[in-house]
Amino acid sequence: MFKNYIKIAWRNIKKDKLFTGIKIGGFAMGIAACLLIALFIKNELGYDTHYKNKDRIYRVVMQGMMDGEQLKSVHFQLPFAETLASTFPEIQKAGKINTSELFGAGRRALRPEGTTQNNFEEGFVYADQSVFDLLEWELEQGNPENLLVNPGSVVMTASKAAKYFPDGNAVGKTVFLDDNSTRPYTITGIIKEDLSEKSHMDFDFLLAIEDTNMSWSNNNYFTYVLLDDNVDVASLEKKMGSILENFVIPAYRERMRGEKFMEVLKTLEYKLQPIGDIHLKSDLKMGDGLNHGDIRFVWLFAAIAGFVLLLAVINFINLSTAKSANRAKEVGLKKTVGAFRGDLVSQFLTESILFSIISFVIGVLLAWGLLPTFNSIAAKNIGMPWETWWFLPIIGIAALIIGIIAGLYPAFYLSAFKPVNVLKGSLSTGSKSGKLRSGLVVFQFTTSVVLIIGTLIIYKQMNFILDKKLGFNKEQVLVIKGTNLLRNNTESFKERLLGLSNVKTATISDYLPIEGTKRNGNTFGLLRDGRQEISVPAQIWRVDYDYIQTLGLQLKNGRSFSKEFASDSSAIVINSSMAKELGFDDPIGKRINNGEDWTIIGVLEDFHYKNLKEEIAPVSLVIGNSPSMVSVKLNKGETTRAIHAIEAIWQDYVPQQAFEYTFLDQEFAQMHDDVQRMGKIFNSFALFAILVACLGLFALSAFLVEQRKKEISIRMVLGAPFKSIYQLLTFDFVKLILISILIATPIGWYLMNRWLEDFAYRINISWWVFVLSGLLALAVAFLTVSYQAIKAGLVNPAKSLRAE
Amino acid sequence: MLLQLHNIFKWVNSGGQRIFLLKDINFEVREGEFISIMGPSGSGKSTLLNVIGMLDGFDEGEYQFLDEPVHSIKEKHRANLYKEYIGFVFQSYHLLDELTVKENLEMPLLYKKYKGAERKAMVADMLDRFNIVGKKDLFPAQLSGGQQQLVGIARALISNPKLILADEPTGNLNSKQGEEIMQLFKQLNDEGVTIIQVTHSEKNAAYGSRIINLLDGRMI
Repeated sequence: MFKNYIKIAWRNIKKDKLFTGIKIGGFAMGIAACLLIALFIKNELGYDTHYKNKDRIYRVVMQGMMDGEQLKSVHFQLPFAETLASTFPEIQKAGKINTSELFGAGRRALRPEGTTQNNFEEGFVYADQSVFDLLEWELEQGNPENLLVNPGSVVMTASKAAKYFPDGNAVGKTVFLDDNSTRPYTITGIIKEDLSEKSHMDFDFLLAIEDTNMSWSNNNYFTYVLLDDNVDVASLEKKMGSILENFVIPAYRERMRGEKFMEVLKTLEYKLQPIGDIHLKSDLKMGDGLNHGDIRFVWLFAAIAGFVLLLAVINFINLSTAKSANRAKEVGLKKTVGAFRGDLVSQFLTESILFSIISFVIGVLLAWGLLPTFNSIAAKNIGMPWETWWFLPIIGIAALIIGIIAGLYPAFYLSAFKPVNVLKGSLSTGSKSGKLRSGLVVFQFTTSVVLIIGTLIIYKQMNFILDKKLGFNKEQVLVIKGTNLLRNNTESFKERLLGLSNVKTATISDYLPIEGTKRNGNTFGLLRDGRQEISVPAQIWRVDYDYIQTLGLQLKNGRSFSKEFASDSSAIVINSSMAKELGFDDPIGKRINNGEDWTIIGVLEDFHYKNLKEEIAPVSLVIGNSPSMVSVKLNKGETTRAIHAIEAIWQDYVPQQAFEYTFLDQEFAQMHDDVQRMGKIFNSFALFAILVACLGLFALSAFLVEQRKKEISIRMVLGAPFKSIYQLLTFDFVKLILISILIATPIGWYLMNRWLEDFAYRINISWWVFVLSGLLALAVAFLTVSYQAIKAGLVNPAKSLRAE
Repeated sequence: MLLQLHNIFKWVNSGGQRIFLLKDINFEVREGEFISIMGPSGSGKSTLLNVIGMLDGFDEGEYQFLDEPVHSIKEKHRANLYKEYIGFVFQSYHLLDELTVKENLEMPLLYKKYKGAERKAMVADMLDRFNIVGKKDLFPAQLSGGQQQLVGIARALISNPKLILADEPTGNLNSKQGEEIMQLFKQLNDEGVTIIQVTHSEKNAAYGSRIINLLDGRMI
């Protein structure tokens, strides 16, 4: 019997290739999309879940209020961790990590002893032994008790160790950083897995902490704690407030930072963030500078996956019931020769499960084939979990369940046909289910239109960000990295670059308006009668005389730095928002203080230096030495030649060092990678969903045309022109699509408004987005339906009438 | 007595009016009879046949089939009754297009839960009896009309019904094919199968032992 079901199903598949192709193809696409999203979500949720004591490890967060806005920080003082561990018995261990470029974290040139070639590596941080004690990373080599205890120790990941020590023996070897052979580092351990794969930390090299500044007002360390079992986190957070009172507030009071600042200090409190929440639930305000996921995207993608699958299932149901006329005879006949309804229900369910299994096989293979593309879009390294024990069983069970769900309605619908109606030929082919089908089509197209609206708006916002007036000129700026390797020759290197005909200007500074370059937060005050009146947190960037010109920053008031003024060593240029925060109408000539006195000589128009999700905050520039990057403004159209010329000069100075450079505009684009990436993922899946919906519409229109073949023929015999036949067939669908657009517009508007709220700088949603989305949906529908309608209008009516 | 119809009425309500499809039908059929139902288009021939075959219900009257009161038994019981005792032959054959000749013949047996070996034997027997062994792996579309109807009759006979109901079995065939089919019915009847056929043709009706004439739902 079962064999017979399969046989009939198989022959049906073969008989109607287009229909089954669409049925299975659409289903498979839905499954592939779902699977990819599921793998992505699983990957995102899997961060920081592999630690032995993951439920007891927390990152400390400080929060407070300033001017009605919430402040958050994850940076703490050097003595903070030890003080926590010694003050609170429920804290077993407390460790710290410093990721600040100011201290030498981030990018360093590395060279094993006995080699001459320096290689740049990102991902240097400073950490203490306790970090290892509490996170318990798996080691490939090294003594876990003694990794970062001694100064000059370095721990690296296995992949990096393999790069520099291919023989596999790295522990005990010496490396030099930034070509400084007077300061050797000894490798004490190798971490087995890359940290970035599974945790929020994307570090490759951990150095023992060298900082000795025990001040309670310098905040540079992420602090992690391991708690005892069953600790009441909320009450511990409260108790931790004593640290603020005993150490932090007195330290600040000593440095006298204005009334307002003292108000802020009063609102401060500590929170403990579970380590598993860091990847997906961190606030941008925390400013930890790490690559985070976003739980909202996880939800968004989960919703899309659900919708795509739903669309595919709806297609399946729609197409199965649509084809009911063809199966009616079979049902009627089988009933007259002895089949019970149960037999037929199980036959149709078997069939739909068979379809489902075939679709799953194709879908899984499709997902497998698309995974590399997906990985490159999502910047992930996800693999098909073939070898995990649960993967194939889950796929199998899902195929079964979805097969049953998708087949349930058609099975009961089809098996309910009365044989006498069928055999008499008076079977009404689903006027009742016509309504249901229309409803499902409306649902599909509503979803599609919402997705089209989303796609358009995400695309627009992305372009808006990338083309936004940034306040600086990112075009034609070459950034040479690692120029600190030139030692004292940086200045003369710059002079020689200026001598090249293709170079307009050049500047030496590690502070650039793109993320990942150096930052230095500070608090500025205004001295009046010897008392500090206000305090403004601001960046203070060390630059040279040509910085403003090279980056194309715009002066609003005053002047740029100039060598003609000897006093410019204590001059400061601030941006407009800093002038506003300080409360100056005319800031030129005013003096501000951050421990040193500065005289304001110029005000810049605001320029973006952070992710555009955030608003522009105060920045100030002073003359100073920060020699590891040189930015060069090139003439248009001579880029390649200029690079060759610059490299030749570089070789003159440090022939053994690789010449490394990027372009400012590329770096800028990378800074918005996360937004772009999410946009791209969203768009690909939206495309999937729209495609599935279109396939459904195509097949459904084919069916409706087939169903009305007789009517069309009779009309044609009676003299109806082609045009009227075409209108007749397309009108029904157009009606449904219009209803979909009406429903989709407010939904899309609401959802996209919510998404845009996330951006400090965003587009307005304009009406044409909705018009365009609607037109697109209509166009797609017209294309699919027209094909069928034209086919029907061109057929010889005598033929289809005879067949009746 | 195979079946008895007593005062059978069947009607539909249309626009407030009651239109009778069958009006006061009374007759009996004994086993071994070959009955032809005749009448012009719309006289209720097919409706009567469907009522006899229990595919369609009626509104008034009594119907005894093998001493079972069809008018009062449950739907399921009724279905079991016709599935067991009645074979249907249709004007347009109603073979399943996606099954081969052999599989079409086998289908009724599947639903009657015969074992695989039994089914094989019965199908082989039937193919042999109708001389269509060579066609067993062909699909209906590959057969002529007459051959398809042959398969249709074979399928109706395969589970040994007591009664064959044939609704214009030769209506889609040319005269030569039609004659062959009627010969076959005659032969089956001689072997003891009861047959009720609906036909338009006097010539075909003449094969039967008795003719029932219908006009506007009435027997005349």
